Order: sequence, then structure tokens, then C-alpha cells
Amino acid sequence: MTVIFRARGDLLRMVRDDLHRPHAFAAERVGFLLCRAGQFTDGGLAILAADYDPVRDMDYLDDPRVGAMMGSAAIRRALEHAYNSGKQNIGIFHIHMHNHSGRPGFSHIDLAENKKFVPDFFNAAPAMPHGAIVLSRDEAVGQCWRHRHANPDPINRFVSVAAPLQIWRTE
Amino acid sequence: MDPRFASQSFLGPDSDVLLDALEVGIVGLCGGGSPVVQLLAHVGVGGFVIADDDIAEERNRNRLIGCTPTDVVAQAPKTEIAERTILAINPHARVTVCRSKWQDAIETLRRCDVIFGCVDSYREREELERFARRFLIPYLDLGMDVFAAPDGYSISGQVVLSSPGTPCLRCFGIVTDERLTREAGQYGKAGSRPQVIWPNGVLASLAVGLFMQLICPWHSKPTMTACCEFDGNRHRVETNRLDHAADIKCNHFAPDEVGDAFYSRVL
Repeated sequence: MTVIFRARGDLLRMVRDDLHRPHAFAAERVGFLLCRAGQFTDGGLAILAADYDPVRDMDYLDDPRVGAMMGSAAIRRALEHAYNSGKQNIGIFHIHMHNHSGRPGFSHIDLAENKKFVPDFFNAAPAMPHGAIVLSRDEAVGQCWRHRHANPDPINRFVSVAAPLQIWRTE
Repeated sequence: MDPRFASQSFLGPDSDVLLDALEVGIVGLCGGGSPVVQLLAHVGVGGFVIADDDIAEERNRNRLIGCTPTDVVAQAPKTEIAERTILAINPHARVTVCRSKWQDAIETLRRCDVIFGCVDSYREREELERFARRFLIPYLDLGMDVFAAPDGYSISGQVVLSSPGTPCLRCFGIVTDERLTREAGQYGKAGSRPQVIWPNGVLASLAVGLFMQLICPWHSKPTMTACCEFDGNRHRVETNRLDHAADIKCNHFAPDEVGDAFYSRVL
């Protein structure tokens, strides 16, 4: 089943600009895209980015083994954001960036960490899909969980809604 | 590059692959939609979602591209004529047929990368734009009219490219409360509206040109917003409304009003 991720180009530009900023000790920055969704006839999904919530400088842990390690406060804040939206239908997608061109990929550590924290997002919005995305300077790949206990589906297609319209396929 | 597209290679070395991979929705397949379908098939779009619940009638034959007398006798669905047109040009095209009102095909139309709206009423145009905005899909709206003027008749029309974050049909003054009220008041009395093929051809070409610059721009300034008005009496296309509205910050659609408002998977 197809998973399509769409975001406005100006929102993605803002995300890239934020993730590109240096941090006092973390080698990478991370943030959360707050998303809505819609289902296709065949059960596929459209994930639609609505807003971006950057992780605050103080919420990083100094862990030289990884590019960026969030503290529990960062995840708690994202969950609160989703929970307090009052709409109960926000999907949370963790996002970070690899600073190169072309198709990025999750590292082994990324994949292991995604598996640990993404299921927690279902505590705030159990009916929504959640996931993780890694950007490069000009492309993206991602994982989408439909259920807390399900294996993630790859995001098959990213669309940056801008001029020109940019579409990145990961099939 | 596929030799079929050698003459449009200036659109980029991968433009044929890009276009083939797209899925484009066309809602309304008569005078406005049928030339759009034909042009998109020629330029190399590979995926189509075509939606219309109507059948071909004799009165459509003056403008429905591909419609034959046999179609009229057979009461062929307009979707069937559009599908046949596409496949005659590109036998490998992927065509999803929605022989229904577009509102009953929204779960299919959500997949589309771009949607063309070729519907008759302002109410439907507004609804379709709202749907496209919710799913972050650029929307190309085509509208044409012939009305009585003091010196005869006046032909006019417009194409609007409405993308998330840019001016919408209301910002451009195409959809207004007054028009919606007037239209609602005329419900059931409209009869057969005058429609002819050549203005639709102009509008379809303008719309496909805007679509092409969005997908594979051949210059450095592609745009996400456009409002082209066709004056069919003076044979001119003007962009005055765009000049006035281009800097408007649309407040008819909030940036976070996206997705299915009632989304909920079965837990």
C-alpha cells in the first residue's frame, strides 16, 4: 500500500534551515513534523505536514556516540503538542537531516531508535499514523507506522509542494 | 529519452520519466476536461484519474473531444471516451476511471499530484479547490462562459492555478458570495448553457502550460499561482487579476487545515 508524504515547499525549507543550524554540542539537529492524514481507496495513506516543532537546544543530551540524542523532555513536548492541539488527530513524524545531496538513508542507529520512540507517539494520538523522516539537502526517505505494534511501511513518495513541484520516489 | 518526446527535450533530460510517473486528476470530462485529457496524454503524463458521472449526448458533440455519433447512440460514459482518447495516444497510460460524482471519488483523487477542475458551477469549483488544498494538491481551475452583451455575445473564461499558500479562487474574485447566491437561486432553471470548443481549447492549453511549468520548468521562474483571463471577443489573454492579487496572503485557507478532518483508522 502506498504512503505519500506531502509538505508545502516553504515549510520544508524552514525545516531544513532549522536543522542546518549548528548546536553547541550535538552534531545534528532534530525536530517533529506535525501531520494530518487521509486514506486512499486501497488503504494507502496521504500524510500531510501541517506544522513543525523544533527540538529546543536544552533538550539535547550530550552523547558523542550519535549525531543527536534527544532527552525525554523533547519527546514529552512533542506528545503534549499533539495532545493539547485539541483535535486528537495529529500524527508526529520525527525528522532530521543528513547534510548531503541525493537520497539519504537511515543509519542502523536511526532505525533502532525510531523503533523505540515512534510507538510512544501513539500514546498521544492512537488513531493517527506516526513515523520518522530523514532529509538530505534535496531528497527524503521515511518510515510510517500505522499501528503501535505494526512494522513500519516505507514512505513511497515525497512531494514538496512548490514551484517546481518536487517528487521523490523511494520505490 | 523516449523518441516520442525528442521535440520536448528542452524540458529536461528526465522530463519524460517525471511526466510518466505522475498521477493527474481531471474532474469533468466534457468541453473543458476533454481537451485537457488529450493534451496531457500527448505531453506524456502516465497516470490519470478521470472523474465524471455523465454520459455523452448529442448536444455535447460540438465540444467533447473524441466523441463520435456512435458514442451518443450508445450513451457512452464521458469517462469511457476520455479513457479511449488517452489510451489511443499512450497505450501504456495508467487510467483510473471514476464514473461517479467526484465527491464520491475523493479517496482516489487524494493520490493525485495535480488536479484539473473542469466543472460547471461555482459551488463545485469552490468545493474542489477546498478539497485540493486540504490534500496539498495544486489545483488548476478552468471556467468558461458565453453571455448576452449589448452588441451580441461575449465569450470569456479563465484559468487559475491555485496552490497551497497562494491566492485562491476567492482571492482572485472568481468565486464570490454574490455568484454563489445567484447560482443557487437559478438552481434547476439554467437549462443548456452555451458552450463552444475553441475557447475551451485556449483555456485547456493555458492550463496545461501552467501544469508543465510546474512539473518541468523550462525557465528559471516557475510559478505556483496564476490567473489568466481569456477575452474571447478580443482574442486576448490577460493577467490583471493576478497583478492585483499576487501579493495577497490568502486567509480563506489556514495552513494547518489539511488532511481528512474525520480521519480515524479503526482501532
